[in-house]
This record gives sequence, C-alpha cells and structure tokens, in this order.
Amino acid sequence: MRIYWITWAVLLVFTVVMLWADGAAIPRAAFLVFMIAAMLTKASIIAGNFMHLRSERAGLVATVVIGLLVTGLVLYVLIAPDAARIHTMVGAQ
Amino acid sequence: MAHAAGQTIDRWNGGVCPFDAGWRKVMMWWFIVTDGLLFAGFLASYGYARILAFHWPNQSSVFSLPYIAAMTFVLITSSATMASAVDATRRSRLRASLPFVLLTAAGGAVFLGMQAFEWRHLIEAGARLNTNPWGDASFGAYFFLLTGFHGLHVLTGVTVLATTAVRLAKGLSTAEGVEMAGLYWHFVDLVWVFIFTLFYLV
Repeated sequence: MRIYWITWAVLLVFTVVMLWADGAAIPRAAFLVFMIAAMLTKASIIAGNFMHLRSERAGLVATVVIGLLVTGLVLYVLIAPDAARIHTMVGAQ
Repeated sequence: MAHAAGQTIDRWNGGVCPFDAGWRKVMMWWFIVTDGLLFAGFLASYGYARILAFHWPNQSSVFSLPYIAAMTFVLITSSATMASAVDATRRSRLRASLPFVLLTAAGGAVFLGMQAFEWRHLIEAGARLNTNPWGDASFGAYFFLLTGFHGLHVLTGVTVLATTAVRLAKGLSTAEGVEMAGLYWHFVDLVWVFIFTLFYLV
C-alpha cells in the first residue's frame, strides 16, 4: 500500500511544480515542452502504478499505450498544420 | 513457449491467453482505450481551435487556478484511496477495502460539487456555449464540453463506487469487481491530468 501513497505524493509534487511554472516567466516554447513532459509523466505514473499497467503483459501494455498515444498524435499532427495555415491566412487578410 | 514453474516468462508469449488477464479486465481496458480515444478527439479538436484563435482567454484571469489545483488534489487523493482498496482486495481482505471505496466515492462527490460551483461561477460571469466575455467564442463551448463530459464520467464513477460499496457491505462483491471499479476510476483521474494541463494551464 505504501507505493500508492508515494505515487500520490509524487503526483502532488508534479501538480505544484506545474502550477509554479504557470506563474513563472518561462519562454513559451520551453513552457509548452515542460508542461507536456510533466503531463505525460503524470499519466504514465497513474497508468503504471495505480492501474498496475507495469505488471501487465507487454502485449496488453503495447495495445493500450500505442493505441492511445499514436492515435492521439496522428489526430493532432494531421490537423494542427491545417489550423496554423488558416490562422496565418486569416491574419494576413 | 511453455511456462514451467520458476522459468522466466516471455512477456510477449501469451499462448491461448495473450494478455494473461480475465475477460472482464481485457474488456475494461478495451473500454478505456476507446473512451480515451473519444477524449483524444475532443482534445485534438480543442487544440485546433486554440491554434485558430486570435484571442484565446488567459486562463489565469478566468479561473482560480488554486481552486482548480484543489479539485486536482481531491481527484488524485481519491485515486490513492481507490488503489488502497484494490490492494486490500488483492490481499483477500474484501471487507477492509470498504472504507477506501467509500472514501473514493466521497472524493468523487466532492469533486463534482466543486465542479458545479465552478460552472455556476462561470455562467454567472457570462460564459455560454457560444459566447463569453473573455475572448474567442469557442472558449465557452470547449470549457463546458470538456469539463462536462469528464464530469459525467466522474458521476458514473461515483455511481459505480456506491454500488460496489453496497455490494461489498452485503458480501456480494468480488476482488475482480473492485479492481474493475478501480481501473475505471483511475482512468477518470488520468483524463483529468490531460484536461488540467491542456485546458487550464497551457
């Protein structure tokens, strides 16, 4: 049971650090990289420790993680350039 | 490859049971993946709107971030109590998991109450699905869509947990039943990590 409360404490520390970063004067690009890295780390900790994905078979882990991450990434990577292009076109008018 | 006692298990070789898990757990993971894809679609759509928008509101001037952090604290704590409940059932102490399940359900109810308060505050400030006083018109739509859909999941989770608690008290629930409720609850927490970061902070 100890591992769960250590996980809880780590998640809280991450949350506090993210809140601190939100108010700090950090360049936008570095801020985005930090926030996404922290978010993915928190998600991995929850899935690994709370959902016990660490102790599941590699086939199940791969199905869940690759299924979600790759689809999410494809969704975003496919539409983000289009949004940026429209943004630039409207801004130029 | 056959698994003899004491032999190292090849984690890619499941034989007739590829995931080495019962059908309930596999189906719960399938549900989590498909529901996760739904949220991924919402968040990708939100990302599209963010890139398109010229005047996206500054979140720290719209929301009370310490309040949102408190909501996050409640949800993370409820996840820890749920993990403790599952741990108790794995040690064959089904009845010992009951207080943890009740605490988790209470955490979920507190989160819902806090979210209702936040919604009321924003609605009173003029936020609607198609307009808001702070900036881009789609801000309100994404706020209500993302937090509302997540809130519905929390409500479902609280209902599942309350049912599990009643069944535990009557001696009807199994360790697997508690574990499935736990998987769902942790998924709700997991989704909040993404919403909290991408909608409230970034």
